[in-house]
Amino acid sequence: MTLRRRFRGASAGYLLIAPALAATVIFLVIPMVVSAWWSLTHYNGIKPAEFVGLQNYLDVLSNARFQKAFENTIAFVILGMGIGPALGLGSALLLDRALRLRGLFRSAFFLPTMTSLVVVATIWKFLYSDAGIINAVIGIFGLPGVNWLSDTTTALPAVVVTSIWQGFGFETVVFLAALQSIPRNYYEAASIDGAGRWAKFRWVTLPGLRPTILFVYVIGIIGSFQTYDQIFVMTNGGPIQATRTIVFDLVDRFNRLDLGGASAVAYILVVFLAVLSYLQLRIGEERD
Amino acid sequence: MIRARQLAAIAAATAILVGACGGAATSAPSPAASAPATSAQPSAAPSEAASASPAPSIDTTPVTITVWDYYGESTPVKPALAGFQKAYPWITVDYQALDWDSMNTKFTVGVSSGDAPDVATLDMTWIPTLAANGALEDLTAMSGGQLNGKPIADQYTKGALDAMTYGGSFVTMLFDFDTYALYYRADLLEKKGIAVPTTWDELRAAAKKLAESSKGSGKPDRYLYAIRPNTFHFSQFLFEGGGTILNADNTKAAFNSDAGIAGVDIQKAILDDGSGLYWPDANNDLIPAITAEQVAMFADGPYYMGLLRTGVPAQSGKWKVAINPYSKQPGSYLGGTGLGIPVLAKHKDAAWLFIQYMLRPEQQVGVFTYAGAAPATTAALESPELTKADPYFGGQAPFKVFLDSMATSTHFPYVGAWTEIDTFITESLQTALLGKATAKAALDDAASQADAALAK
Repeated sequence: MTLRRRFRGASAGYLLIAPALAATVIFLVIPMVVSAWWSLTHYNGIKPAEFVGLQNYLDVLSNARFQKAFENTIAFVILGMGIGPALGLGSALLLDRALRLRGLFRSAFFLPTMTSLVVVATIWKFLYSDAGIINAVIGIFGLPGVNWLSDTTTALPAVVVTSIWQGFGFETVVFLAALQSIPRNYYEAASIDGAGRWAKFRWVTLPGLRPTILFVYVIGIIGSFQTYDQIFVMTNGGPIQATRTIVFDLVDRFNRLDLGGASAVAYILVVFLAVLSYLQLRIGEERD
Repeated sequence: MIRARQLAAIAAATAILVGACGGAATSAPSPAASAPATSAQPSAAPSEAASASPAPSIDTTPVTITVWDYYGESTPVKPALAGFQKAYPWITVDYQALDWDSMNTKFTVGVSSGDAPDVATLDMTWIPTLAANGALEDLTAMSGGQLNGKPIADQYTKGALDAMTYGGSFVTMLFDFDTYALYYRADLLEKKGIAVPTTWDELRAAAKKLAESSKGSGKPDRYLYAIRPNTFHFSQFLFEGGGTILNADNTKAAFNSDAGIAGVDIQKAILDDGSGLYWPDANNDLIPAITAEQVAMFADGPYYMGLLRTGVPAQSGKWKVAINPYSKQPGSYLGGTGLGIPVLAKHKDAAWLFIQYMLRPEQQVGVFTYAGAAPATTAALESPELTKADPYFGGQAPFKVFLDSMATSTHFPYVGAWTEIDTFITESLQTALLGKATAKAALDDAASQADAALAK
């Protein structure tokens, strides 16, 4: 078959993917290339860019505020991904067993995920306020109220709780779908072999969920590293940088018209995430 | 198979993140709340065009200018559009309402991507960064120093003229001004026999007497003095103590002087007395705390007159305003809203006509009547509308207090690193007021960071 005939055969396919390909090039590839160039320049969007090599990267990496933002982001990821998926899996296991009202609970759990993060953050900001319901409940037990979002020790965990609440419905639905796709005869066979509830979970459920767990963690970790909206609404990065995250640092630079520094932060984050995602997938691959 | 998935996941992560950064700066922002263009096509209004009688030098080619406004529902800009389009029928205004929180980012995206509006309302605290980056049009060159046919210098106070100037040129026209005074619950002070405080010591004593515990726990939780850990409020204490934010040539931090330390210490003392309510900016405005009677005194700008009227109508007649108590001299920061033209704006001449129209006395009074804020031009300040007795403030004319305050207020330094310095100061205030460090240690740390930023 000549090249021309092969192309003619595939032309319909090329035609169909052309719009998506064009959109990807225009809205993703070109901005990525432009951003890469900016990261090597001093550029404010108005005056001509001045090439500075890797200076922006060196400045960002040695900047104490970026380092603090990086630490906070890591803490956010560890707390959020340590608790969120576990909660999602737990609620999915409960829903998998509950035959009645499963649809109702599934919808209820998924509702926060469908709600705008800004709305969720605003609601939780009220809950955490001095006169909010959380302090009111604490007060019933005679305990003093806590300045949840104004205290450097509680601000980040408070934002993490909000994020977990907003996101665990998604994890629940994903895990529930995966649980229901595990063939029931596996469990029957395990029962015949005398497996108890824990053994079935350990040797049937968990292996069956492995691709889903990998998916949830890869997506969740990438999302956690990009945390911004709830920080902006609830704490604006404070108090005293306690909730400043990498993306918050990026936007801060952008607002100062430091487009070179902001682009360098974006690429540092991308490289870090790419390496992390690769390692996650390799670990998943080895276990498969 | 796993290789393909790996590549897909990594590529997706890369694309999402970098695309978000680069894409943000290469595409136009979509305003949060975009109103349809209020159209007044020139051809549709020949009689109005005739009545406008444009000067021969004015280009009357039909144009559409884009105006970004962050005032919100009580904006004085939108109600003025019909009159503007009657006066200048060849100019159509594409009015876009945005919120203050996101305006700075949207404006930054706009000017850096070449898709800026023609006119924007800009917080005066953003001006140093925008002007230092060359984002704003030189209005001195553009106007020839004239505003509505009179010299600009004759139409503003000296403080306002300083605030509008960067590098020897006007880069914005002040539309409303912001300067701080003391709001206090006159009914409570009278009930408890407390005189309106005029010094820091009196302020502390008054706060102590006002504070009450509603739950019987002994810990005061209502009628408190609001402590705001931000540069706006700190600079007031700093200026009142005779301090400055930077040295005379704007090359070194000076806010960590004795005046600065004393300004933080007095606030910390009020907090330690239990008579202060710590209220960071992330909590937004004070209206919920005022409604809940948590706050009986606070320092803020004239725009709070409007916020109180609309947000806490139940406390009408109970509030009054006084010059803020001071230690050595009265003082406040001077800010507000400026009208600016981005250097990349497409229709600068029409934009300048729009700004001039908005600064006519009749539109300036709208700043007070619609937004409850303080108009900036001297002609508007003389309007009887602004100085009449206000029933909400117990028959007081609170605006006069802000006029007095403006006479002794100072704008923030116009340096390119201002945004960073503002952040360093705010964080040092949080550090000191939350008891994580002494005022001196916190301010010294912020000053060293500010020096480094200024040296760049």
